[in-house]
Amino acid sequence: MEERLTFFGYFRNIYTAVKTSVIGMWITFRYVWGKKPVTIEYPEVREVLPESSRSRLYNDVMNCISCNMCAISCPVDCIYISSIDRPKDLEIPKCDDGTPKRKVLTQYTIDTALCCYCGLCTTVCPTECLTHTTDYEYSQYEVEDMKYDYLTDELIAWRDRLVKA
Amino acid sequence: MQTWDMDLEELKEPATESGEKLKTELLTVNMGPQHPATHGVLRVEIKTDSEIVAKAIPHIGYLHRCMEKHAESIDYRGVIPFVDRLDYLAAMSQELTYSMAVEKMLGTEVPRRAIVIRTIVSELQRIASHLMAFGTYALDLGAFSPFLYAFDEREKILRFFEEISGARLLYNYFWIGGVWTDITDQQVDYIINFLNGFEKELVKYDKLVSQNRIFQERTMHVGTLSLEDAHSFGATGPVLRGSGQAWDLRKVNPYLCYDELDFEVPIGEGQRGSTVGDCYNRYYVRMLEMVESVKLVRQAIKLLEPGPIIGKVSKVIKLPKGEIYMRTECPRGELGVHLVSDGDKTPYRVKIKSPCFTHTSILPHIAPGQMIADFVASIGSIDIVLGEVDR
Amino acid sequence: MHNEIISLINSKVSNANATLINPPEDGAGDSSILINPESVFETMKCLLNSKFNALQVISGVDYTEYLEVCYMLANFDPKDHREAIIKTRLTDRDNPTLDSICSLSLAANWQERECYDMIGVKFNNHPDHRRILCPDDWEGFPLRKDYKVQEVYRGMEVNPEAKMNRDDQLFENQKQTGNEEELLRKALERGL
Repeated sequence: MEERLTFFGYFRNIYTAVKTSVIGMWITFRYVWGKKPVTIEYPEVREVLPESSRSRLYNDVMNCISCNMCAISCPVDCIYISSIDRPKDLEIPKCDDGTPKRKVLTQYTIDTALCCYCGLCTTVCPTECLTHTTDYEYSQYEVEDMKYDYLTDELIAWRDRLVKA
Repeated sequence: MQTWDMDLEELKEPATESGEKLKTELLTVNMGPQHPATHGVLRVEIKTDSEIVAKAIPHIGYLHRCMEKHAESIDYRGVIPFVDRLDYLAAMSQELTYSMAVEKMLGTEVPRRAIVIRTIVSELQRIASHLMAFGTYALDLGAFSPFLYAFDEREKILRFFEEISGARLLYNYFWIGGVWTDITDQQVDYIINFLNGFEKELVKYDKLVSQNRIFQERTMHVGTLSLEDAHSFGATGPVLRGSGQAWDLRKVNPYLCYDELDFEVPIGEGQRGSTVGDCYNRYYVRMLEMVESVKLVRQAIKLLEPGPIIGKVSKVIKLPKGEIYMRTECPRGELGVHLVSDGDKTPYRVKIKSPCFTHTSILPHIAPGQMIADFVASIGSIDIVLGEVDR
Repeated sequence: MHNEIISLINSKVSNANATLINPPEDGAGDSSILINPESVFETMKCLLNSKFNALQVISGVDYTEYLEVCYMLANFDPKDHREAIIKTRLTDRDNPTLDSICSLSLAANWQERECYDMIGVKFNNHPDHRRILCPDDWEGFPLRKDYKVQEVYRGMEVNPEAKMNRDDQLFENQKQTGNEEELLRKALERGL
C-alpha cells in the first residue's frame, strides 16, 4: 500500500517530480533541432503510395471476359457486372493474354462507397484486368456519384493516370 | 424499457451539527459515447458522490456491426476482411486467429516461410498496437508529446505493412494457408533498421513517461485488480500479466514458431514502488512486452529461409463438420474464435471471444471509490478497442 | 483429459449425465463434454472450484432443433494448463432457461447477457438481466437461424429500401432500359 507521507517525503516528491519533468522536457526540447518534420503538407505535397498499395480499383474492360468471379468473391457485393452471350455469327475476340471473350460486357460498375478495399476481387481475376491502383483522390459530393461505370469514356481515358506504371 | 434504478442505499447521508440529515443525491455523469478518453464509442454512466465514483455502468453496443451474423452468409475467405475490422489497431493478430482456426479444421499445412513471416508480422503488429496504447494513455493523462513520438514510430511499421499487404490498417494479409505476398530482402533490412532505431526510442519513452514522477503519481495504486479477480473475470494479456500471473499463450501453448524463439514473459511485480495489478503495472507490462517483441522479431528474421508462402488450399473452401475453439495471444489479450461448421461453403457460426469485451466488464468492478480522473486512467490502462467490444 | 473431467463431474454432480462428444467421423475439430441443462450450476461450481479457474466465454449456437450453449473453461496457470468446452442443449426454443453462474464467476455477468441478447437464452437469478449489444427494446434474437429483422423500430424504418444494396451483381439501369439488342449493339461498337 501507499506509504505514509513524511515531512521529508513531501519535499523528496517535489524534487523527483521537478527532476523527472526536466529530463522529459529536455528530451522534448531536443526535437526542436535535429529532427525533421514527419508530416507532409497535403495539397502541395502528395504522398506517393507504395506500388502494392490497394487503393482505387480499375478495370481494364477491353481485357475483361465477364466471368463474374470478382462479383462472386466480393464480400460486400459492390461489383455490378452484366453481360450478354456473344451472337454465334460473330468472331470471338481475344484478350491480351489470349483468353477468348465469349461474352459481351454490357455493364461494369463498382460502388466505391461500399467497397472495403480487401483485394479479394483482384486476386481471383483470371485475366488480371481488375487491379488496384495507387490513386486515392476521387472524392465526390454525392454518394450516388461514387458508383463508377468503367465503360464510360472518361474512365477509359483516365487509364494512364490510374493504372500503375 | 428498463432503466437503471437509483441505488438509494448507497447514498451517503452526512448529518449536520443539529443532527438533521442532509438530503444528498448521487450525481449522474455521462462519460461518452463521444469522449476522447473512452477510446471509441463507449458510454459510461457514472454515479458520483462529489468527485468520487460510486458506481460506473458501461453501456456498449454503439459500434455493433453484426459481424457474427454477417459471417454466416459469406464464404470463409470473405470473412477475413470483417475479422480485420474487429480490432482495427491490431488487425494482423485477428486474422491470424481466424485463419489458424480454419487451417486447423482443414488440416492445411502452412509452409515454413509463411509461418516465420506470420511471426514477424504479428510481433510488429504487437509493437504498433502497444505504441498506440502507450501514446493514447499518456495523452489521457495529460502528456501530449509521447503521443506524437509513438505515432512517428508506429507510422514506420504501418509503412512496412502497406508495402507488403497494400493497406495501412485493414490488411487482409494472412490468407487461409499462408500469407498473401512475400517479403523481400530490402524489407527485411528496413525492419532491422527500424528495430535499431526503435530500441533507442524505447529508452527515451522510459525516461520521458515511465520514470516521470507525475505520471507515476497518476497511475500507481490506482485501479488495482487482484489476481483472484483477474482470474474470475477471465482477464488475459497485459491485464492478467499486470496482476502478476506469467500467463502467455506464446509460452504455454506455442503456436507459429514461438517454441524456437527465446523470450521472457514480463509480469507486473510492483515495479518502482507500485502495487501489483494497478494501472502502472498494466502499462509497464506493455512497455516491457515491446522490448520482448523486438527480441522476437530479430530472432525470427534469422529463421527466414526461401520457400513457398502459401499452402495447398482448394479454390472453394469447404470445412468438414465440427467445431473448434482456437485462441491466440493478441496485443490486448487472448482472442478466441469459436467456429462451427456444417460442411457448407459458409461458416455455420462464428463466435469471437474478444479480450476487450472481457476487460470492459472489469470497469464497474475497479471504478467504485476512484476519482473521476483516476477512472480515466483506469480505462486507458486496460486499453480497449470498441470495435472489438461490440463486434 | 476429457475422461478425467467427465468422471469428476459424474461423481460430484448426480444428475449431470456428462458424456463426451467427439467430432463427427467425416469432420474435424475439438471434442467437448455434454451435460444436462438442469445441472449447469452444480457442474460449473464443481469445475470452477477444482480444475479450472476462469470462464473464458459463453457461446450460443442455434442448431434449429435445439439451442446449444457452450462454456469455454480454462485454467490460467502456466504449470497446469488445460481448457475444455462444456456444452448443454436446450430443446425448448420458445422459453430456453438456464441457471445463471454469476455467483461463481465475475465474467459470467456480461457473457450471459450477451448470450441472452444474441440467442435468447434466459438465465435465472441473473443480477442484471438486460440486453447488452442491441437496444433494450429490440425485438427478436439476431443469431437465431429463423431471425427476421423487425420493420419499424421506434417509428424509424429499419433497413430502408434506399440504403439496401439489392442489385446483387446486376446493375439497375440495365433493367430499366432492358433492350438487349440495343445494349449489345452499343457494346460491340466499342469493340468489347
